[in-house]
Amino acid sequence: MEPRNEELDVPNLTDWLNTPLAGLMPVEQAFRCHVCKDFYNSPMLTSCNHTFCSICIRRYLSTDPTCPLCRAKVEEVKLRGNWALREAVDAFVQARDTLLQVARKPVAAPSPPKRKAAEYDETHTDGRENKRHRMSTRSRRVKGGEVTAAMMREEYDAIESDDSTYSEPDDGLVACPICQKRMKVNQVDPHLEASCVGPPDEQSSSASRSRGNPNSNSRSARPAVQISPQKTRPERLPALAYSMIKDGALRKKMAELGLSTAGSRPMLERRHQEWVIIWNANCDSAKPKKRFELLHDLEVWEKTMGTRAPTSSRAAILGAQIKDKNFDREGWANKNKNSFQDLIANARRTRNQVEKQNREASEEQQKDSEKQRHEQLPEVMDLTGPSSQPEGKYKAEGKSKAEVEGEGESKVEMDIPLDEGFHPADYSPEPPHYGILEQPKEMQYVPHQGPVPPGNAEMPIQSKPTFLPQ
Amino acid sequence: MAPGAQFAAKRLGKELTKISKGLPAGIVLVQGDNFEEWLLDIQVLDSNPLYMGQTYRLKFKFGSSYPIEPPEVVFVKLPDRPIPIHPHIYSNGIICLDLLGQQGWSPVQNVESVCMSLQSMLTGNTKNERPPGDEEFVRGNRLRPKDIDFYYHDNNV
Repeated sequence: MEPRNEELDVPNLTDWLNTPLAGLMPVEQAFRCHVCKDFYNSPMLTSCNHTFCSICIRRYLSTDPTCPLCRAKVEEVKLRGNWALREAVDAFVQARDTLLQVARKPVAAPSPPKRKAAEYDETHTDGRENKRHRMSTRSRRVKGGEVTAAMMREEYDAIESDDSTYSEPDDGLVACPICQKRMKVNQVDPHLEASCVGPPDEQSSSASRSRGNPNSNSRSARPAVQISPQKTRPERLPALAYSMIKDGALRKKMAELGLSTAGSRPMLERRHQEWVIIWNANCDSAKPKKRFELLHDLEVWEKTMGTRAPTSSRAAILGAQIKDKNFDREGWANKNKNSFQDLIANARRTRNQVEKQNREASEEQQKDSEKQRHEQLPEVMDLTGPSSQPEGKYKAEGKSKAEVEGEGESKVEMDIPLDEGFHPADYSPEPPHYGILEQPKEMQYVPHQGPVPPGNAEMPIQSKPTFLPQ
Repeated sequence: MAPGAQFAAKRLGKELTKISKGLPAGIVLVQGDNFEEWLLDIQVLDSNPLYMGQTYRLKFKFGSSYPIEPPEVVFVKLPDRPIPIHPHIYSNGIICLDLLGQQGWSPVQNVESVCMSLQSMLTGNTKNERPPGDEEFVRGNRLRPKDIDFYYHDNNV
């Protein structure tokens, strides 16, 4: 029942251009959210008196707690629903199609012949897209008064054609061409613009509402007038301070909310945060969705945002975590300090062993060749010398080998931001060196199982350059 | 439709429809057939001798979080599309403008407003120079524009 269309080809501001009702463009602009550019969906008022869709402002505040329009500090808990605007938007959206039909009509034609309601609808829905341009140019030539007259004629036509199919009560009233509500002739126009709620078959409840039906219990249409007790609404969820909450507690909380607890810590946080946004925005909605629909939304979000990679391996997730702009580089360096030092020590040991072996070998060969050349070992040998790496290390740390390798993989991952379409080569003729040159020499000897990664573990932590133009 | 990538696509769809009805003078959409990357040409319309008669190519890249997150905007060098000379535009096309950073960006901005900001940034410039450290930056930079920590010091842009 939401006025928003599913396709991308949705009603647009520019629909009014080149029509006699071009003055409605700024009106419609005022009914649209500055963030999503769509009609306000559950508009919320900030403490700086700006209005945004509930989901838009909540999502933005989760990245930056300021107003997108004036940069004033905005607290999410202080958002308040702008119900009057919600009504205005809903009413405008309801009236919009009719208004647009009227605006695009070739009004210069002398009193058009009577048509059946069905035909009337056909010409104005099917033919609308093709005829748009021609009609609008023609109608531009017509003066305002004629337009109104023509509009009225059209409405009567529609009503009269209704007469031919339905028996009309002789009460001196006419039916609204949209919602069939009966009223005086001169009330039709204001009614269409202000309070018509749409075809009765689609919106029987809305129609009854606009007739002041006391049985109507929907609070969405006239909350201020119809003093009906608030339905029990779902409670809003509080935001969590993720830095203060332990893994177990977060998982427990999410399990209580019925959310998946799969994935890494940062995934859990993002999932929880998105759920809070979706849920709280839904609390602001006049027609709240069911819980399972929200869960579906969350699932779609998770798929489209790429947080759930097709192979959601631990390494990939860690990689995504490290790529994140908010990644705590120092914290990561400190947390994994021991691990890094172990790896460095291992690498040195391995290197020494290999050097020693080679030296011994070269001494044997010394008779028929010069040994000095073999003294300088190719670095590749160091890196591909895992055979001499002590296997016991993995057990010593109480980690499985796979886990340690996973960490190794994640180090590969963190150099990946380049694969998102931005190639450094676009900006420089040189091949990327991933900042490895800024590392202490021994860092290049971190042993890896498998192919040598393009960078190494601490690269993103230390090598993020800061470019100060002054 | 759900949040996420469709959120960005929906918003971009709206911008595209609006753009197709007309853009301000000096801004032309060159390519906008997807919701990931658009190309636009901009011109400086006044008689600033630094930019007179030139057309510049802009590349917009939109993430799935657009417009919550800013797009990535850079100038692209082509045979007939130079990189405009400006103390805040590096010769590899990267632009130092707070509007395009996490801090300065606001979701009420859009492609059109970004283009207009860049137009006015060029119009107001009188210095025929690149940013300090341009050569070094261009040679050494391996970061995406959004990951660079710019220090926005100049309020006269």
